[in-house]
Amino acid sequence: MQRIPGGFAFLPWPVILLFAAPVAALLVSFFIVRPARPRWTHVPILASCAVIAACAIWILSLVLFQNWGLDLPLGGWMVAGDWLVSYGVRVDGLSASVLAMVSIVGGLIHVYASGYMAEDPGFARFFLAFHLFFLAMIGLLLSNSYIQLYLFWELVGFASYLLIGFWWQKKTARRAALQAILTNRLGDFGLFLAALILLAVFHNTRFALIFPAIVNGHYALVSLVGFLLFWAATAKSAQFPLYFWLPDAMEGPTPVSALMHAATMVTAGVFLLARSWPLISTVPVLPDLIAVVGAFTAIAAGIVACAKKDLKRILAYSTVSHLGIMVFGLGLGEVAPAVYHLITHGFFKAVLFLCAGNIAHGLHQPTADLDQVGGLRKKMPFTFVCFTVAALSLGGIWPFAGYFSKDAILDAALHRGPWAIVAGVLIGVTSALYIFRMLFLTFFGPSPRQKGGEHIHEAEPVMAVPVGFITLGTLLGGLLGHSFSTVIKSGWPVAQPIAALPEFSWSTFAVGMSAAAVGAGIAWVIAFVNPSFDWEWRTKYPALESALNSDFGWKPFVRLATAGVVALANAAGFFDHAVVDGAVEGAPRVAGAAGEQGRRLATGRINDYVWWMLAGAAVLLLAVMR
Amino acid sequence: MTWAVWAVTGFLFACGAAMIVLRRQLLAMLMGLELMISAVNIALVYYCSRYADGETLASVLLIIAIAAAEAVVGLSLILKVYEAGREVETESLQELKG
Amino acid sequence: MLSAIWAIPAAGGLLVLAAAGRWPAKRLALAVAVCVFALSLALPWAAGPEGLSSLAQAGPLWAYGIRYSVGLDGLSLVLVWLTAFLTVVSLLSAWKQELSAGFWASFLFLEAACLGVFLVRDLFFFYIFWEAVLVPMFFIIGLWGSENRRHAAMKFFLFTFFGSVFLLLGILALVTMHHSATGLWTWDMAVLRGPSSGRAAVVVFLALVVGFGVKIPLFPLHTWLPDAHTEAPAAGSIMLAGVLLKLGVYGLLRVALPAFPEVSWSLLPWLGLIAAINMIYGALCSMAQGDLKRLVAYSSVAHLGFCVMGILSRTPEGLAGGSLQLLNHGLSTGALFLLVGCLYERGHKRGLSDFGGLFAKAPWFTFFFGVAVFASIGLPGLNGFVGEFMSLAGMARVLPILAIAGVVGVTLAAGYALPAYQAVFWADPGPGSVSAKVTELDWREKSLMWTLTLLMLWIGLFPGTLLSLLDSSLRGLLL
Repeated sequence: MQRIPGGFAFLPWPVILLFAAPVAALLVSFFIVRPARPRWTHVPILASCAVIAACAIWILSLVLFQNWGLDLPLGGWMVAGDWLVSYGVRVDGLSASVLAMVSIVGGLIHVYASGYMAEDPGFARFFLAFHLFFLAMIGLLLSNSYIQLYLFWELVGFASYLLIGFWWQKKTARRAALQAILTNRLGDFGLFLAALILLAVFHNTRFALIFPAIVNGHYALVSLVGFLLFWAATAKSAQFPLYFWLPDAMEGPTPVSALMHAATMVTAGVFLLARSWPLISTVPVLPDLIAVVGAFTAIAAGIVACAKKDLKRILAYSTVSHLGIMVFGLGLGEVAPAVYHLITHGFFKAVLFLCAGNIAHGLHQPTADLDQVGGLRKKMPFTFVCFTVAALSLGGIWPFAGYFSKDAILDAALHRGPWAIVAGVLIGVTSALYIFRMLFLTFFGPSPRQKGGEHIHEAEPVMAVPVGFITLGTLLGGLLGHSFSTVIKSGWPVAQPIAALPEFSWSTFAVGMSAAAVGAGIAWVIAFVNPSFDWEWRTKYPALESALNSDFGWKPFVRLATAGVVALANAAGFFDHAVVDGAVEGAPRVAGAAGEQGRRLATGRINDYVWWMLAGAAVLLLAVMR
Repeated sequence: MTWAVWAVTGFLFACGAAMIVLRRQLLAMLMGLELMISAVNIALVYYCSRYADGETLASVLLIIAIAAAEAVVGLSLILKVYEAGREVETESLQELKG
Repeated sequence: MLSAIWAIPAAGGLLVLAAAGRWPAKRLALAVAVCVFALSLALPWAAGPEGLSSLAQAGPLWAYGIRYSVGLDGLSLVLVWLTAFLTVVSLLSAWKQELSAGFWASFLFLEAACLGVFLVRDLFFFYIFWEAVLVPMFFIIGLWGSENRRHAAMKFFLFTFFGSVFLLLGILALVTMHHSATGLWTWDMAVLRGPSSGRAAVVVFLALVVGFGVKIPLFPLHTWLPDAHTEAPAAGSIMLAGVLLKLGVYGLLRVALPAFPEVSWSLLPWLGLIAAINMIYGALCSMAQGDLKRLVAYSSVAHLGFCVMGILSRTPEGLAGGSLQLLNHGLSTGALFLLVGCLYERGHKRGLSDFGGLFAKAPWFTFFFGVAVFASIGLPGLNGFVGEFMSLAGMARVLPILAIAGVVGVTLAAGYALPAYQAVFWADPGPGSVSAKVTELDWREKSLMWTLTLLMLWIGLFPGTLLSLLDSSLRGLLL
């Protein structure tokens, strides 16, 4: 990996274009196109997407074929004497591989959105915020220090706030946006503090400088930093305990959900963990904690997803579950499989969301319920094919992309010990169960029971073609495992290399496939053998249903905690008004009352005044004589 | 000898003070004031004879002059109050009441 | 040259009063304010290659070592820019109201007094300017404020005057202490030093801290601020938050900390604790408010906590960041008060529940308010983050536990600002809402906000110029 001294002049043009294109597109769209032709706002932005995708692929191929890399400081951002925080760019295997996925999937979702949002009155606003979201994610991937990462990390959260609350007239959307940004802010606490501590310890937060130091030395506060980084990741990547914002975040338009779940937002947390892996792996206990949290989140969210009816909500919990899988894989020390799953998940989850969006769009509503759909395979054959491919991939069926990445993580779990094996198998079963249930109930079975559903039609080309391309990625992604192994090793910041993807093993294949088969079999029973089961259990076991609806009681707890903070704030407000300000307002009142009493001494009679005078003289006399 | 002077002047001073504090007529109060000044003057005269101190005698003269001036000013003020058609008693002069 | 910076607005104020009825007062006042701003921008060029300190001037010596002297360094320059700029902004923000000449003149007097505080280098004159600030502000709140203005004006005046008593005693004690130690009568800020330890030094230092702390305001001396802000006219709130609160921190930086370096260092944990309380308690109180202006006022309490924390750390990044945060707070909170003032001007209400759904009617209003809100809660890329981050980074090197409290404050900031933002601009208007009366910003307000937005972006992304300006001067002062 070649490292060259800093400065813009050394920056190769594909990297410059990665930032210049979206910034220019945003400025042109905002200041020129939007006021003149709001319906054309997407044109410069789509052009920028094309440029970004081309540059990302170019960079990826450079990394793949030439082992190219870059870590360049680009001038100071915050400077005070010798204290310096600078901008910078880092291209290595990790960022280039994730960047390629993000730019391809994200770009295609942009195209999809130009069809999906065409009728919306807020079209221009949508595309500006959408592209800002995309830009923030690109910047996040290419950051070379924790502080710059924080900059884009926050921008991602900010853009997601605008997009989740895009339909601000809806109360649920407002609530979801607020919940998303506040939860993320709670997580950002970790990253902010971690950056502060690293800066105080190392006077620097550049990955390339601090990771070797941490690996080779012993620093007391680094353990704390590791836990803080994981805390930050649980918010962004929707892990327990801060996962709850993500399912509600589907209040935004479907392209936003697709982009957020597949490419931009939730991957940031996993990316942060992968990026910080040299640091985290030195912290005792932390990797195990990460594995346990990941496994727990994956299984619990998988179970909850099985009980949901809303198409997008099922997918949202599925995202939580799959992020759990990635975190589980990371916790097991397998960076490459986790990042690989991040990439394949980006493809298939985008397809699933966009297909769900096509269905909802066909029904002319923001989202659809399982009760409202059924037998769609005849009416939407193209969507059906894409959805099936993505579902098979998510379910971990060979030879689709999801199989390869999930299998690699399962392989690591099988080598870890009993609890990890159980977790890995359970994850496989639940994933297959909820996604096949969704597939069967949506595309097979009886026709729509929804009024108006008979008019449902296939999506128009602008929305179908991007889905097709991403589906291709889902089909082919699994074949690139070997190249990915090469790429991810490139430019790893510490000397200890990371493991490549594991070799194929029949035992892992058998375990993974049979888990998926069990899940799919249960889904088959639910959908076809005993179709009434899906709603009967809800009436039979109301306690179970309420437990699943409340995410095993975590949602009420979060509400309680939020109410606690609000109560604390109100108490502080009351305290300030009554006690602190009360003392201030009380002081003149006390003075006034004292004066009110004191004026009684002034009787106005001269004789009384003389009494006082004599008393005073007597006191003075005594004082002098003493 | 000293105790006799202190007894006389103390008695006179107390009488004057009592007049000021207890009497309500402004004229009586002014007289009480003069009495107190005179009591102090007697004591001063005794002490300057005892210590043969000329400076104290000078201040005695000064106090007599001031007492005279004070009587003039006080009496004329009382007269003015009277001319203004008001009673020269403290009960009717309570503008300072808080 | 430097004396002219404060003398021009003072003379301009007199002129506006004298010419009342003959010349249009507000145009005259604006012309003067713009002149002062232009002049302040020209200061670095006037200084030439010898540096800002070459502009310093001193008058003849008076009794007891009192000597009128002015000086300039990076810190003063940045605050002079802020004051001159915000005066123009606040005059323009009140442009549509028909107000008497006294209103416009008051702003010029206020500007003159604030500029005087930032420019003079003699404690005697410092105190005179310090007190002179109160008078125009008293009239601005008391005469042109909203319903409860008299109470608020009186509270503002008495409370800050109460602080000034401590300040005066502290200054006098400092001067006499310096005299008894060195035999030299002087009021020169650059020379005065208190004893490095002992009970007297602590008491005098604390008197100065209380004096400056009322203006900052430090907990628990902050309660005049919400009332004053709520009742002041929008233009007055801009000056109050944008400039007046800066005086306290400036006093700490210029007087209290340099005079008592050792004492302040030994009291660091306690002062830092107060700053941390400011951040967290201010944010919590802000969350509990239903009135937009009170909410922003409490957020100021929280923001100034960052400034104090930064400068207390006495590290280059903490000092530069804390003093940059003064500027940042002036811009973002100034923008917020400007916009809240626009809301009040249109709807004559300030409550969160009095509005709702403004996005549909006034997208630019929503856009700019959003920029100001996110700048004030520290979104990286906008100005607030730079100051907060550097302040906390400084403290993290000295007392990490306090930096953690600061990060909690950063986290809480979103908790008060965003719900309020949503309630006004997104939520459905409730019964009795005055949203129908709110119209889009006009071109005057829009161009003001564009200027502020660009400044916030510039400081957020490229703060290097300002930081080096601040760093070089603070280094001489405190490191």
